[in-house]
Amino acid sequence: MSAYYLGIDIGAAASKAVVIDGHNNIVGAAVIPSGTNYSTTAAAVKDTALRQAGLQSSAVSASAATGIGGRNAGADSYHGVIICDARGVNLTFPSARTVIDIGGQGSQVITMDGEGRVINFNISEICATGSARLLQVVARILQIGIDEIGPLSLRSAKPSSFSTSCTVFLETEVITRISQGDRPEDILAGIHRSIADKISGMSRGVALEKDFAIIGGGALDIGLVQAIEEKLAVKALVPGNPRLMAALGAAVIAKER
Amino acid sequence: MEYEASKLFFAGIDIGSTMSKAVVVDARGKMLGYVVGQTGAEHRRRANRVMEDVLIKSSITLDQIAYIISTGYGRVNVPFADRQVTELTCHAKGVASLFPEVRTAIDIGGQDAKVLKIKNGRLTDFLTNDKCAAGTGRFLEVAAETLGLGLNEMGQVSLQSDSPVKINSLCTIFAQQEIISRLSEGQPLPDILAGVYIAVTTRVVKLARQLKVEPPVVFTGGVAKNAGMVKAMETVLGTAVLVPEEPLITGALGAAILARDEAFKLVQDGAYEAHRDKKLTEAYIDFGEKNERKM
Repeated sequence: MSAYYLGIDIGAAASKAVVIDGHNNIVGAAVIPSGTNYSTTAAAVKDTALRQAGLQSSAVSASAATGIGGRNAGADSYHGVIICDARGVNLTFPSARTVIDIGGQGSQVITMDGEGRVINFNISEICATGSARLLQVVARILQIGIDEIGPLSLRSAKPSSFSTSCTVFLETEVITRISQGDRPEDILAGIHRSIADKISGMSRGVALEKDFAIIGGGALDIGLVQAIEEKLAVKALVPGNPRLMAALGAAVIAKER
Repeated sequence: MEYEASKLFFAGIDIGSTMSKAVVVDARGKMLGYVVGQTGAEHRRRANRVMEDVLIKSSITLDQIAYIISTGYGRVNVPFADRQVTELTCHAKGVASLFPEVRTAIDIGGQDAKVLKIKNGRLTDFLTNDKCAAGTGRFLEVAAETLGLGLNEMGQVSLQSDSPVKINSLCTIFAQQEIISRLSEGQPLPDILAGVYIAVTTRVVKLARQLKVEPPVVFTGGVAKNAGMVKAMETVLGTAVLVPEEPLITGALGAAILARDEAFKLVQDGAYEAHRDKKLTEAYIDFGEKNERKM
Protein backbone atom coordinates (compact mmCIF):
# COMPACT_ATOMS: atom_id res chain seq x y z
CA MET A 1 0.00 0.00 0.00
CA SER A 2 1.39 3.38 -0.94
CA ALA A 3 1.97 6.11 1.61
CA TYR A 4 0.54 9.64 1.53
CA TYR A 5 1.59 12.81 3.33
CA LEU A 6 -0.45 15.80 4.36
CA GLY A 7 0.62 19.44 4.67
CA ILE A 8 -1.70 22.06 6.20
CA ASP A 9 -1.19 25.84 6.10
CA ILE A 10 -3.58 27.88 8.27
CA GLY A 11 -3.01 31.44 7.04
CA ALA A 12 -4.46 34.76 8.17
CA ALA A 13 -6.98 34.88 5.32
CA ALA A 14 -7.03 31.42 3.73
CA SER A 15 -6.23 27.87 4.83
CA LYS A 16 -4.75 25.30 2.48
CA ALA A 17 -4.08 21.57 2.54
CA VAL A 18 -2.00 19.47 0.15
CA VAL A 19 -1.76 15.67 -0.04
CA ILE A 20 1.29 14.19 -1.79
CA ASP A 21 2.28 10.64 -2.58
CA GLY A 22 5.70 9.04 -1.97
CA HIS A 23 7.03 10.63 -5.19
CA ASN A 24 6.06 14.17 -4.18
CA ASN A 25 3.16 14.26 -6.65
CA ILE A 26 0.19 16.35 -5.50
CA VAL A 27 -2.82 14.02 -5.36
CA GLY A 28 -5.24 16.37 -3.58
CA ALA A 29 -5.42 20.01 -2.53
CA ALA A 30 -7.89 22.48 -1.04
CA VAL A 31 -8.16 26.19 -0.18
CA ILE A 32 -10.85 27.53 2.16
CA PRO A 33 -11.31 30.78 4.15
CA SER A 34 -9.60 30.62 7.56
CA GLY A 35 -12.53 31.70 9.72
CA THR A 36 -12.03 32.25 13.43
CA ASN A 37 -11.66 28.72 14.76
CA TYR A 38 -8.38 27.30 13.49
CA SER A 39 -8.93 23.67 14.60
CA THR A 40 -12.30 23.46 12.88
CA THR A 41 -10.83 25.10 9.78
CA ALA A 42 -7.89 22.68 9.79
CA ALA A 43 -10.22 19.66 9.98
CA ALA A 44 -12.38 21.04 7.15
CA VAL A 45 -9.52 21.85 4.78
CA LYS A 46 -7.88 18.49 5.45
CA ASP A 47 -11.15 16.61 4.73
CA THR A 48 -11.64 18.54 1.50
CA ALA A 49 -8.13 17.75 0.27
CA LEU A 50 -8.43 14.06 1.19
CA ARG A 51 -11.81 13.81 -0.53
CA GLN A 52 -10.31 15.31 -3.65
CA ALA A 53 -7.51 12.74 -3.48
CA GLY A 54 -10.09 9.96 -2.92
CA LEU A 55 -8.35 8.94 0.32
CA GLN A 56 -9.39 8.10 3.88
CA SER A 57 -7.55 9.94 6.65
CA SER A 58 -6.01 6.58 7.65
CA ALA A 59 -4.07 6.66 4.35
CA VAL A 60 -2.02 9.61 5.64
CA SER A 61 1.30 8.34 7.07
CA ALA A 62 2.45 11.70 8.44
CA SER A 63 1.26 15.28 8.55
CA ALA A 64 2.81 18.68 9.19
CA ALA A 65 1.30 22.13 9.65
CA THR A 66 2.41 25.73 9.23
CA GLY A 67 0.93 29.24 9.20
CA ILE A 68 -0.45 31.55 11.86
CA GLY A 69 -2.93 28.91 13.09
CA GLY A 70 -0.78 25.87 12.29
CA ARG A 71 -0.18 24.99 15.93
CA ASN A 72 -3.91 24.32 16.30
CA ALA A 73 -4.15 22.19 13.17
CA GLY A 74 -3.78 18.82 14.92
CA ALA A 75 -0.86 17.76 12.71
CA ASP A 76 2.09 15.55 13.75
CA SER A 77 4.47 18.50 13.67
CA TYR A 78 4.57 22.28 13.21
CA HIS A 79 7.08 24.22 11.07
CA GLY A 80 7.67 27.90 10.36
CA VAL A 81 6.14 29.25 7.19
CA ILE A 82 9.51 30.47 5.84
CA ILE A 83 10.93 26.92 5.80
CA CYS A 84 7.74 25.52 4.28
CA ASP A 85 7.59 28.24 1.59
CA ALA A 86 11.18 27.46 0.60
CA ARG A 87 10.60 23.69 0.40
CA GLY A 88 7.39 24.05 -1.57
CA VAL A 89 8.92 26.42 -4.11
CA ASN A 90 12.09 24.33 -4.40
CA LEU A 91 9.99 21.32 -5.32
CA THR A 92 7.98 23.32 -7.88
CA PHE A 93 10.83 25.40 -9.35
CA PRO A 94 14.25 23.88 -8.53
CA SER A 95 15.98 26.89 -10.14
CA ALA A 96 14.34 29.42 -7.78
CA ARG A 97 16.64 31.13 -5.28
CA THR A 98 14.38 34.00 -4.14
CA VAL A 99 10.79 33.66 -2.94
CA ILE A 100 8.40 36.57 -2.46
CA ASP A 101 5.31 35.47 -0.54
CA ILE A 102 2.42 37.97 -0.51
CA GLY A 103 -0.07 36.78 2.07
CA GLY A 104 -3.30 38.00 3.58
CA GLN A 105 -1.70 39.92 6.44
CA GLY A 106 1.86 40.60 5.41
CA SER A 107 4.59 39.35 3.16
CA GLN A 108 8.01 37.75 3.29
CA VAL A 109 11.09 37.65 1.13
CA ILE A 110 13.21 34.50 1.34
CA THR A 111 16.48 33.49 -0.28
CA MET A 112 17.48 29.82 -0.44
CA ASP A 113 19.97 27.38 -1.95
CA GLY A 114 19.33 24.72 -4.61
CA GLU A 115 18.12 22.26 -1.98
CA GLY A 116 15.44 24.63 -0.68
CA ARG A 117 17.44 25.46 2.45
CA VAL A 118 16.78 29.00 3.70
CA ILE A 119 19.76 31.39 3.51
CA ASN A 120 18.12 34.63 4.58
CA PHE A 121 14.67 36.17 4.95
CA ASN A 122 12.72 39.28 5.91
CA ILE A 123 9.19 39.26 7.26
CA SER A 124 7.09 42.42 7.00
CA GLU A 125 5.31 43.64 10.07
CA ILE A 126 1.57 43.07 9.95
CA CYS A 127 0.57 45.77 7.48
CA ALA A 128 -2.33 45.83 5.05
CA THR A 129 -0.28 47.62 2.38
CA GLY A 130 2.38 44.93 2.31
CA SER A 131 -0.28 42.27 1.86
CA ALA A 132 -3.10 41.27 -0.45
CA ARG A 133 -5.50 43.02 1.91
CA LEU A 134 -5.00 46.42 0.28
CA LEU A 135 -6.25 44.92 -2.99
CA GLN A 136 -9.47 43.81 -1.29
CA VAL A 137 -10.01 47.27 0.16
CA VAL A 138 -9.52 48.96 -3.21
CA ALA A 139 -11.64 46.39 -5.06
CA ARG A 140 -14.47 47.16 -2.66
CA ILE A 141 -14.23 50.90 -3.32
CA LEU A 142 -14.14 50.33 -7.10
CA GLN A 143 -16.94 47.75 -6.82
CA ILE A 144 -15.10 45.10 -8.77
CA GLY A 145 -14.31 41.46 -7.99
CA ILE A 146 -10.87 40.57 -6.65
CA ASP A 147 -10.22 38.46 -9.78
CA GLU A 148 -10.89 41.41 -12.06
CA ILE A 149 -8.12 43.55 -10.53
CA GLY A 150 -5.17 42.03 -12.40
CA PRO A 151 -6.59 41.99 -15.95
CA LEU A 152 -8.14 45.44 -15.55
CA SER A 153 -4.93 47.00 -14.21
CA LEU A 154 -3.00 45.79 -17.28
CA ARG A 155 -5.05 48.19 -19.42
CA SER A 156 -3.60 51.19 -17.56
CA ALA A 157 -1.54 53.63 -19.59
CA LYS A 158 -1.06 56.19 -16.81
CA PRO A 159 -0.90 54.66 -13.31
CA SER A 160 -2.19 56.98 -10.57
CA SER A 161 0.39 58.08 -8.06
CA PHE A 162 -0.39 58.16 -4.38
CA SER A 163 1.17 60.28 -1.65
CA THR A 164 0.76 57.71 1.12
CA SER A 165 1.44 54.02 1.55
CA CYS A 166 -0.94 53.35 4.46
CA THR A 167 -4.11 51.48 3.43
CA VAL A 168 -6.26 53.63 5.71
CA PHE A 169 -5.01 56.86 4.13
CA LEU A 170 -5.05 55.27 0.66
CA GLU A 171 -8.78 54.58 1.02
CA THR A 172 -9.38 58.32 1.24
CA GLU A 173 -6.92 59.09 -1.53
CA VAL A 174 -8.47 56.54 -3.90
CA ILE A 175 -11.88 58.17 -3.41
CA THR A 176 -10.35 61.59 -4.11
CA ARG A 177 -8.74 60.23 -7.29
CA ILE A 178 -12.04 58.78 -8.47
CA SER A 179 -13.68 62.17 -7.96
CA GLN A 180 -10.86 63.77 -9.96
CA GLY A 181 -11.63 61.42 -12.84
CA ASP A 182 -8.80 58.86 -12.56
CA ARG A 183 -9.76 55.66 -14.37
CA PRO A 184 -10.19 52.44 -12.31
CA GLU A 185 -7.36 50.71 -14.24
CA ASP A 186 -4.99 53.60 -13.46
CA ILE A 187 -5.90 53.53 -9.78
CA LEU A 188 -5.29 49.76 -9.64
CA ALA A 189 -1.96 50.04 -11.45
CA GLY A 190 -0.95 52.79 -8.99
CA ILE A 191 -1.94 50.60 -6.05
CA HIS A 192 0.14 47.73 -7.49
CA ARG A 193 3.12 50.08 -7.55
CA SER A 194 2.53 51.01 -3.91
CA ILE A 195 2.60 47.34 -2.89
CA ALA A 196 5.64 46.68 -5.09
CA ASP A 197 7.46 49.61 -3.43
CA LYS A 198 6.66 48.22 -0.01
CA ILE A 199 7.94 44.76 -0.98
CA SER A 200 11.03 46.16 -2.61
CA GLY A 201 11.75 48.10 0.60
CA MET A 202 11.45 44.87 2.52
CA SER A 203 13.99 43.15 0.28
CA ARG A 204 16.70 45.56 1.40
CA GLY A 205 19.46 43.78 3.27
CA VAL A 206 18.69 40.45 1.58
CA ALA A 207 20.86 39.65 -1.43
CA LEU A 208 18.32 38.64 -4.07
CA GLU A 209 19.37 36.11 -6.67
CA LYS A 210 17.70 34.61 -9.73
CA ASP A 211 15.38 32.84 -10.28
CA PHE A 212 12.52 34.66 -8.56
CA ALA A 213 9.27 33.04 -7.53
CA ILE A 214 6.21 35.01 -6.41
CA ILE A 215 3.73 33.05 -4.30
CA GLY A 216 0.82 33.57 -1.90
CA GLY A 217 -2.61 35.03 -2.63
CA GLY A 218 -1.05 38.20 -4.07
CA ALA A 219 0.58 36.15 -6.87
CA LEU A 220 -2.89 35.45 -8.31
CA ASP A 221 -2.97 39.10 -9.38
CA ILE A 222 -1.11 39.35 -12.69
CA GLY A 223 -0.95 43.14 -12.42
CA LEU A 224 0.78 42.94 -9.04
CA VAL A 225 3.23 40.31 -10.32
CA GLN A 226 4.15 42.60 -13.22
CA ALA A 227 4.53 45.62 -10.93
CA ILE A 228 6.97 43.66 -8.73
CA GLU A 229 8.86 42.40 -11.79
CA GLU A 230 9.17 45.97 -13.00
CA LYS A 231 10.23 47.36 -9.63
CA LEU A 232 12.90 44.68 -9.06
CA ALA A 233 13.79 44.44 -12.79
CA VAL A 234 13.39 40.66 -12.88
CA LYS A 235 11.16 38.00 -14.46
CA ALA A 236 9.30 35.95 -11.90
CA LEU A 237 8.09 32.36 -11.82
CA VAL A 238 4.52 31.93 -10.57
CA PRO A 239 3.21 28.46 -9.66
CA GLY A 240 -0.13 27.29 -11.06
CA ASN A 241 -1.64 27.60 -7.59
CA PRO A 242 0.64 30.02 -5.76
CA ARG A 243 -1.33 29.77 -2.52
CA LEU A 244 -0.43 26.10 -1.99
CA MET A 245 3.37 26.44 -1.67
CA ALA A 246 3.68 26.47 2.13
CA ALA A 247 1.24 23.55 2.50
CA LEU A 248 3.17 21.64 -0.16
CA GLY A 249 6.42 22.37 1.68
CA ALA A 250 4.86 21.14 4.92
CA ALA A 251 3.78 17.90 3.18
CA VAL A 252 7.35 17.32 1.92
CA ILE A 253 8.71 17.95 5.42
CA ALA A 254 6.15 15.50 6.87
CA LYS A 255 7.35 12.88 4.39
CA GLU A 256 11.01 13.34 5.29
CA ARG A 257 10.55 13.15 9.03
CA MET B 1 3.56 106.35 13.08
CA GLU B 2 3.57 106.01 16.83
CA TYR B 3 3.58 102.66 18.51
CA GLU B 4 4.50 101.22 21.86
CA ALA B 5 6.12 97.79 21.73
CA SER B 6 4.45 96.71 24.98
CA LYS B 7 1.02 97.26 23.40
CA LEU B 8 1.55 95.10 20.34
CA PHE B 9 -0.12 91.73 19.77
CA PHE B 10 1.04 88.65 17.91
CA ALA B 11 -0.72 85.72 16.28
CA GLY B 12 0.07 82.10 15.49
CA ILE B 13 -2.03 80.03 13.07
CA ASP B 14 -1.71 76.25 12.86
CA ILE B 15 -3.49 74.66 9.88
CA GLY B 16 -3.43 70.93 10.74
CA SER B 17 -4.65 68.00 8.65
CA THR B 18 -7.87 67.83 10.66
CA MET B 19 -8.10 70.95 12.84
CA SER B 20 -7.07 74.58 12.43
CA LYS B 21 -6.08 76.64 15.43
CA ALA B 22 -5.21 80.30 16.08
CA VAL B 23 -3.76 82.01 19.14
CA VAL B 24 -3.13 85.67 20.00
CA VAL B 25 -0.56 86.65 22.63
CA ASP B 26 0.49 89.99 24.09
CA ALA B 27 3.97 91.42 24.50
CA ARG B 28 4.59 89.29 27.60
CA GLY B 29 3.60 86.15 25.75
CA LYS B 30 0.33 85.86 27.66
CA MET B 31 -2.52 84.30 25.70
CA LEU B 32 -5.42 86.64 24.96
CA GLY B 33 -7.60 84.23 23.05
CA TYR B 34 -7.64 81.11 20.92
CA VAL B 35 -9.94 79.31 18.48
CA VAL B 36 -10.10 75.77 17.13
CA GLY B 37 -12.05 74.72 14.03
CA GLN B 38 -12.22 71.91 11.48
CA THR B 39 -9.76 72.40 8.61
CA GLY B 40 -11.97 71.06 5.82
CA ALA B 41 -10.95 71.14 2.18
CA GLU B 42 -10.40 74.87 1.70
CA HIS B 43 -7.34 75.88 3.67
CA ARG B 44 -7.35 79.54 2.71
CA ARG B 45 -10.93 80.12 3.68
CA ARG B 46 -10.28 78.32 6.95
CA ALA B 47 -7.20 80.41 7.67
CA ASN B 48 -9.19 83.65 7.16
CA ARG B 49 -11.96 82.34 9.33
CA VAL B 50 -9.83 81.30 12.34
CA MET B 51 -7.96 84.59 12.12
CA GLU B 52 -11.18 86.60 12.16
CA ASP B 53 -12.55 84.50 15.01
CA VAL B 54 -9.45 84.75 17.17
CA LEU B 55 -9.48 88.54 16.80
CA ILE B 56 -13.06 88.61 18.04
CA LYS B 57 -12.20 86.27 20.92
CA SER B 58 -9.24 88.45 21.86
CA SER B 59 -11.24 91.69 21.48
CA ILE B 60 -8.68 93.31 19.19
CA THR B 61 -8.50 94.27 15.52
CA LEU B 62 -6.14 93.14 12.82
CA ASP B 63 -4.16 96.38 12.77
CA GLN B 64 -3.14 95.72 16.38
CA ILE B 65 -1.41 92.49 15.34
CA ALA B 66 2.25 93.18 14.73
CA TYR B 67 3.35 89.83 13.34
CA ILE B 68 1.73 86.56 12.27
CA ILE B 69 3.40 83.16 11.92
CA SER B 70 1.70 80.22 10.22
CA THR B 71 2.55 76.59 10.89
CA GLY B 72 1.21 73.07 10.34
CA TYR B 73 0.60 71.02 7.26
CA GLY B 74 -1.43 73.81 5.58
CA ARG B 75 0.89 76.67 6.60
CA VAL B 76 1.58 77.72 2.99
CA ASN B 77 -2.11 78.53 2.59
CA VAL B 78 -2.13 81.42 5.06
CA PRO B 79 -1.63 84.39 2.71
CA PHE B 80 -1.56 87.00 5.46
CA ALA B 81 1.20 85.34 7.53
CA ASP B 82 4.53 87.19 7.79
CA ARG B 83 6.45 83.94 8.02
CA GLN B 84 5.98 80.18 7.90
CA VAL B 85 7.66 78.02 10.52
CA THR B 86 7.62 74.20 10.76
CA GLU B 87 5.27 72.65 13.27
CA LEU B 88 8.14 70.99 15.14
CA THR B 89 9.75 74.33 16.03
CA CYS B 90 6.42 75.93 16.94
CA HIS B 91 5.31 72.96 18.91
CA ALA B 92 8.51 72.83 20.97
CA LYS B 93 8.22 76.56 21.65
CA GLY B 94 4.57 76.28 22.69
CA VAL B 95 5.10 73.30 24.99
CA ALA B 96 8.16 74.88 26.64
CA SER B 97 6.24 78.12 27.23
CA LEU B 98 3.63 76.17 29.21
CA PHE B 99 6.02 73.72 30.87
CA PRO B 100 9.53 75.22 30.95
CA GLU B 101 11.02 72.00 32.43
CA VAL B 102 9.68 69.72 29.65
CA ARG B 103 12.14 67.12 28.30
CA THR B 104 9.86 64.97 26.14
CA ALA B 105 6.78 66.07 24.21
CA ILE B 106 4.46 63.56 22.57
CA ASP B 107 1.91 64.94 20.13
CA ILE B 108 -0.74 62.79 18.49
CA GLY B 109 -2.68 64.51 15.75
CA GLY B 110 -5.47 63.47 13.44
CA GLN B 111 -3.16 61.84 10.88
CA ASP B 112 0.29 61.91 12.42
CA ALA B 113 2.29 61.65 15.60
CA LYS B 114 5.49 63.30 16.70
CA VAL B 115 7.92 62.92 19.54
CA LEU B 116 10.12 65.88 20.50
CA LYS B 117 13.09 66.01 22.83
CA ILE B 118 13.42 69.45 24.40
CA LYS B 119 16.13 70.86 26.64
CA ASN B 120 16.11 74.34 28.14
CA GLY B 121 13.15 75.15 25.94
CA ARG B 122 14.98 74.15 22.76
CA LEU B 123 14.20 71.34 20.37
CA THR B 124 17.12 68.86 20.45
CA ASP B 125 15.74 65.84 18.55
CA PHE B 126 12.50 64.51 17.08
CA LEU B 127 10.82 61.62 15.27
CA THR B 128 7.55 61.70 13.37
CA ASN B 129 5.11 59.21 11.91
CA ASP B 130 2.84 60.32 9.10
CA LYS B 131 3.19 57.13 7.06
CA CYS B 132 0.91 54.82 8.99
CA ALA B 133 -2.53 55.43 10.49
CA ALA B 134 -1.72 53.26 13.52
CA GLY B 135 -0.56 55.51 16.34
CA THR B 136 -2.57 58.51 15.11
CA GLY B 137 -6.03 59.93 15.77
CA ARG B 138 -7.19 58.17 12.63
CA PHE B 139 -6.88 54.80 14.35
CA LEU B 140 -9.29 56.04 17.05
CA GLU B 141 -11.72 57.36 14.43
CA VAL B 142 -11.77 53.97 12.71
CA ALA B 143 -12.38 52.25 16.07
CA ALA B 144 -15.16 54.72 16.93
CA GLU B 145 -16.83 54.16 13.55
CA THR B 146 -16.55 50.39 13.95
CA LEU B 147 -18.18 50.54 17.38
CA GLY B 148 -20.67 53.29 16.52
CA LEU B 149 -19.47 55.51 19.38
CA GLY B 150 -18.44 59.15 19.66
CA LEU B 151 -14.76 59.84 20.35
CA ASN B 152 -15.38 61.39 23.79
CA GLU B 153 -17.89 58.74 24.76
CA MET B 154 -15.33 56.09 23.84
CA GLY B 155 -12.81 57.62 26.28
CA GLN B 156 -15.30 57.80 29.13
CA VAL B 157 -16.52 54.21 28.69
CA SER B 158 -12.93 52.92 28.55
CA LEU B 159 -12.21 54.30 32.01
CA GLN B 160 -14.49 51.63 33.52
CA SER B 161 -12.05 48.92 32.46
CA ASP B 162 -9.36 47.43 34.64
CA SER B 163 -8.36 44.59 32.32
CA PRO B 164 -7.83 45.93 28.78
CA VAL B 165 -8.22 43.42 25.95
CA LYS B 166 -5.02 42.88 23.99
CA ILE B 167 -5.26 44.13 20.39
CA ASN B 168 -2.42 42.34 18.61
CA SER B 169 -2.48 44.10 15.24
CA LEU B 170 -0.62 47.35 14.93
CA CYS B 171 -2.15 47.84 11.47
CA THR B 172 -5.42 49.80 11.68
CA ILE B 173 -7.10 47.64 9.03
CA PHE B 174 -6.41 44.39 10.87
CA ALA B 175 -7.09 45.92 14.29
CA GLN B 176 -10.57 46.89 13.08
CA GLN B 177 -11.18 43.23 12.28
CA GLU B 178 -9.79 42.24 15.68
CA ILE B 179 -12.16 44.65 17.47
CA ILE B 180 -15.10 43.00 15.72
CA SER B 181 -13.85 39.52 16.70
CA ARG B 182 -13.42 40.54 20.35
CA LEU B 183 -16.96 41.96 20.36
CA SER B 184 -18.39 38.77 18.90
CA GLU B 185 -16.51 36.76 21.55
CA GLY B 186 -18.49 38.75 24.11
CA GLN B 187 -15.61 40.74 25.64
CA PRO B 188 -16.89 43.75 27.64
CA LEU B 189 -16.92 47.00 25.66
CA PRO B 190 -14.88 49.02 28.23
CA ASP B 191 -12.09 46.40 28.06
CA ILE B 192 -12.05 46.51 24.25
CA LEU B 193 -11.91 50.31 24.26
CA ALA B 194 -9.13 50.38 26.86
CA GLY B 195 -7.31 47.89 24.59
CA VAL B 196 -7.74 50.24 21.63
CA TYR B 197 -6.10 53.12 23.55
CA ILE B 198 -3.26 50.86 24.69
CA ALA B 199 -2.72 49.80 21.04
CA VAL B 200 -2.48 53.40 19.75
CA THR B 201 -0.24 54.41 22.63
CA THR B 202 2.07 51.43 22.23
CA ARG B 203 2.73 52.40 18.64
CA VAL B 204 3.65 55.98 19.57
CA VAL B 205 5.68 54.97 22.61
CA LYS B 206 7.70 52.64 20.38
CA LEU B 207 8.62 55.74 18.37
CA ALA B 208 9.34 57.73 21.55
CA ARG B 209 11.60 55.04 23.03
CA GLN B 210 13.92 55.40 20.02
CA LEU B 211 14.74 58.85 21.44
CA LYS B 212 14.70 57.82 25.12
CA VAL B 213 11.74 59.11 27.10
CA GLU B 214 12.83 61.50 29.87
CA PRO B 215 10.43 63.16 32.32
CA PRO B 216 8.69 65.53 32.50
CA VAL B 217 6.63 64.25 29.57
CA VAL B 218 4.04 66.55 28.03
CA PHE B 219 1.25 64.97 26.00
CA THR B 220 -0.53 67.15 23.40
CA GLY B 221 -2.59 67.02 20.22
CA GLY B 222 -6.32 66.51 19.81
CA VAL B 223 -6.01 62.94 21.04
CA ALA B 224 -4.64 64.12 24.42
CA LYS B 225 -8.11 65.57 25.18
CA ASN B 226 -9.34 62.03 25.55
CA ALA B 227 -9.33 60.73 29.14
CA GLY B 228 -8.93 57.11 28.02
CA MET B 229 -5.91 58.03 25.94
CA VAL B 230 -4.17 59.89 28.78
CA LYS B 231 -4.67 56.92 31.10
CA ALA B 232 -3.27 54.56 28.45
CA MET B 233 -0.28 56.84 27.85
CA GLU B 234 0.58 56.86 31.55
CA THR B 235 0.16 53.08 31.77
CA VAL B 236 2.34 52.30 28.76
CA LEU B 237 5.02 54.88 29.60
CA GLY B 238 4.97 53.96 33.29
CA THR B 239 5.13 57.64 34.24
CA ALA B 240 2.71 60.53 34.74
CA VAL B 241 2.19 62.90 31.79
CA LEU B 242 1.38 66.61 31.80
CA VAL B 243 -1.49 67.68 29.56
CA PRO B 244 -2.11 71.37 28.79
CA GLU B 245 -5.57 72.73 29.47
CA GLU B 246 -6.11 73.01 25.71
CA PRO B 247 -3.76 70.39 24.17
CA LEU B 248 -4.71 71.25 20.58
CA ILE B 249 -3.24 74.73 20.47
CA THR B 250 0.40 74.27 21.53
CA GLY B 251 1.62 74.61 17.92
CA ALA B 252 -0.37 77.82 17.36
CA LEU B 253 0.75 79.15 20.75
CA GLY B 254 4.39 78.48 19.88
CA ALA B 255 3.88 80.23 16.53
CA ALA B 256 2.40 83.27 18.31
CA ILE B 257 5.33 83.45 20.74
CA LEU B 258 7.81 83.11 17.87
CA ALA B 259 5.87 85.91 16.11
CA ARG B 260 6.44 88.08 19.17
CA ASP B 261 10.18 87.28 19.16
CA GLU B 262 10.40 88.15 15.44
CA ALA B 263 8.54 91.43 15.88
CA PHE B 264 10.77 92.43 18.82
CA LYS B 265 13.80 91.73 16.67
CA LEU B 266 12.39 94.11 14.05
CA VAL B 267 11.76 96.72 16.73
CA GLN B 268 15.33 96.35 17.98
CA ASP B 269 16.71 96.69 14.47
CA GLY B 270 14.55 99.76 13.86
CA ALA B 271 12.83 97.93 11.01
CA TYR B 272 9.44 97.51 12.59
CA GLU B 273 7.72 100.63 11.21
CA ALA B 274 8.52 99.77 7.62
CA HIS B 275 7.26 96.24 8.25
CA ARG B 276 4.02 97.55 9.71
CA ASP B 277 3.29 99.98 6.91
CA LYS B 278 3.77 97.22 4.36
CA LYS B 279 1.71 94.83 6.41
CA LEU B 280 -1.25 97.13 6.83
CA THR B 281 -1.62 97.48 3.07
CA GLU B 282 -1.25 93.75 2.46
CA ALA B 283 -3.55 92.76 5.27
CA TYR B 284 -6.26 94.99 3.84
CA ILE B 285 -6.03 93.22 0.50
CA ASP B 286 -5.94 89.73 2.00
CA PHE B 287 -8.99 90.32 4.10
CA GLY B 288 -10.84 92.38 1.50
CA GLU B 289 -13.69 91.18 -0.66
CA LYS B 290 -11.39 90.62 -3.59
CA ASN B 291 -9.75 87.74 -1.82
CA GLU B 292 -13.05 86.20 -0.80
CA ARG B 293 -14.22 86.22 -4.41
CA LYS B 294 -11.00 84.64 -5.63
CA MET B 295 -11.68 81.48 -3.62
